[in-house]
Amino acid sequence: MTTSSLELSARRPVRAPRRKRSLRANLLGWLFLVPAIALIGIFTIVPFGQAILLSFQSWDGVSPDTPWVGLANYEFIASDPIFWASMRNVLFFGVVGFFVGNGVALGMALAVNRVTRGKTFFRTVFYLPGVLSVVVVGLLFSFILAPGSGVLNRVLELVGLGALQQNWLGDPSVALPAVAAVFVWFHWGFGFLLFLAGLQDVPKELYEAAELDGARPWTQFRYITWPHLAPVTSIVSLLTLLAALQIFGTVQVLTNGGPGYHTMVPTLAIFNEAFVNWRYGTAAAMSVVFGGALVLLSVLQLAITGRRSRA
Amino acid sequence: MTLITQPLVDEAPVATEPLRPRTRRRFRADKVGLYGLLVIAALTALLPLLWMLSGSLQSLTELLSNDTFLPSEPQWQNYVTAWVQGDLGTYLRNSVVYTGCAVAGILIVSSLAGYALARLDFAGKGVFTFIILAVMIIPAPAMFLAQYKLLISLGLTNNPVGYILILITSGIPMSTLIMRSFFVSQPRDLEEAAALDGAGPLRIFWSVILPLARPGLAAVAVIQGLGAWNEYLMALVLFDDNALMPIQRGLTAFTSAETPQQQILLAATTISIVPVVIFYLMAQRHIVKGIGAGAIK
Repeated sequence: MTTSSLELSARRPVRAPRRKRSLRANLLGWLFLVPAIALIGIFTIVPFGQAILLSFQSWDGVSPDTPWVGLANYEFIASDPIFWASMRNVLFFGVVGFFVGNGVALGMALAVNRVTRGKTFFRTVFYLPGVLSVVVVGLLFSFILAPGSGVLNRVLELVGLGALQQNWLGDPSVALPAVAAVFVWFHWGFGFLLFLAGLQDVPKELYEAAELDGARPWTQFRYITWPHLAPVTSIVSLLTLLAALQIFGTVQVLTNGGPGYHTMVPTLAIFNEAFVNWRYGTAAAMSVVFGGALVLLSVLQLAITGRRSRA
Repeated sequence: MTLITQPLVDEAPVATEPLRPRTRRRFRADKVGLYGLLVIAALTALLPLLWMLSGSLQSLTELLSNDTFLPSEPQWQNYVTAWVQGDLGTYLRNSVVYTGCAVAGILIVSSLAGYALARLDFAGKGVFTFIILAVMIIPAPAMFLAQYKLLISLGLTNNPVGYILILITSGIPMSTLIMRSFFVSQPRDLEEAAALDGAGPLRIFWSVILPLARPGLAAVAVIQGLGAWNEYLMALVLFDDNALMPIQRGLTAFTSAETPQQQILLAATTISIVPVVIFYLMAQRHIVKGIGAGAIK
């Protein structure tokens, strides 16, 4: 995302010095963009504005009236324990996704990049969970992690680790890490593919030269691989982080936020507030606060990596 | 990770003679560890899926009690039950239609926009690029309520058209960037030749550019196809009518309404992933290309 904007600005001067464009050229350009602009305008930009508007109104989802309530919705969520629990939980998902998810993805990409046989097989298998839907993953793991008859508990029993058996999704202290583990299982293949693509772009001669100089693998990684992967790393980190923070379906199907609110996440809290409690105004306020935080995070990340890649 | 930190060559080469055999032996031990790690990771990715397959072929008593994890006698009728009880035929057909329409729409809209960004020179190009990048940053949780409200006022809830339009819109920004980077890397010769022959811009686009853009279109189609097939949040919000639900929404409707038995649900989830897994195995080459192009280039 960053690079494309940089590339755009870098590409412009290659053209002949800016001539005056004819009206016809301008019209033609916009003609190609009409469908994209119409759709994005109607279904993204208008709703974005409406979400902000709705957060200052009260709406039950049915009546045509949406009376203005000022900051009441924001006051409500400021003291809403469910919403803040969901914000804390999602921070946990973000941290786990960022460190564990990206770590696994990078490690496996480095490993696959070094083998000669079975590369395609591993690449195919590692991304396989990523093509499943959140509903399938949620249902599947709600069976695997079930207490008693759940297959994970049975496997632990069989291999003599019965002491480790848990009520994975029902015990408040394990439920959140368990759901985070499912998230990592589901999502790390995406980062893996990107890291692997990035690794294949690193010039082989650099390693050969380093080998001749007697550089150890760690040194090679530190001074050749890691710098070359920097742009990929920043994109993967951002996308994994955003995926983790927006987690919804997996949690809804797996635990529906329970036990209590121990696995509640903001998107699910917003959904419940609107479609279970029929308070669309407060739900909109939640989505403004949470969505705003995500936008801020993305802009911050892009600014940091943008500055780094220009330096 | 651990393997990478393990030195390939222990020390800088001192003696010339013993170096070669020693490195080769270390190299092999290194390989064994490497493959061991990869196999463990592959099993972690595959075992839950294999268990789903195996569980879908067991009877409920066997599923809840057995310790071999394999069906003693495959219960194929689980699949029939799941298909009929869950009305999976309807949901799958809906998903095929929605995904097909969404992908077709995304391809048309984003190849037009991508081409304009790559090749045409016009005022406001920078503004549009900025809008695309900005829209990509707006997260779904900030919008889905308002999108729902908008579709109510347009009379498009419980309506395939509304759902498909949302799917198309959410796919445009990333696809436009992929198509743009694809067009930028193509030579201009053919377009110039066609222009000399008197072809207009739209004609050039349709008969020269689009046929050349097939690899780019394939990458976009695969990525957006997977995304549209697996979309859940908007489907959950928009559809109450079972006859219109796509498969993901249909699966949750099945779970909550009928409370079917576990082995039937496993059969249903297995059926639901068959199309997408086959599609993935056939098209995975394009996935790598598309994800790479979309995210990095």
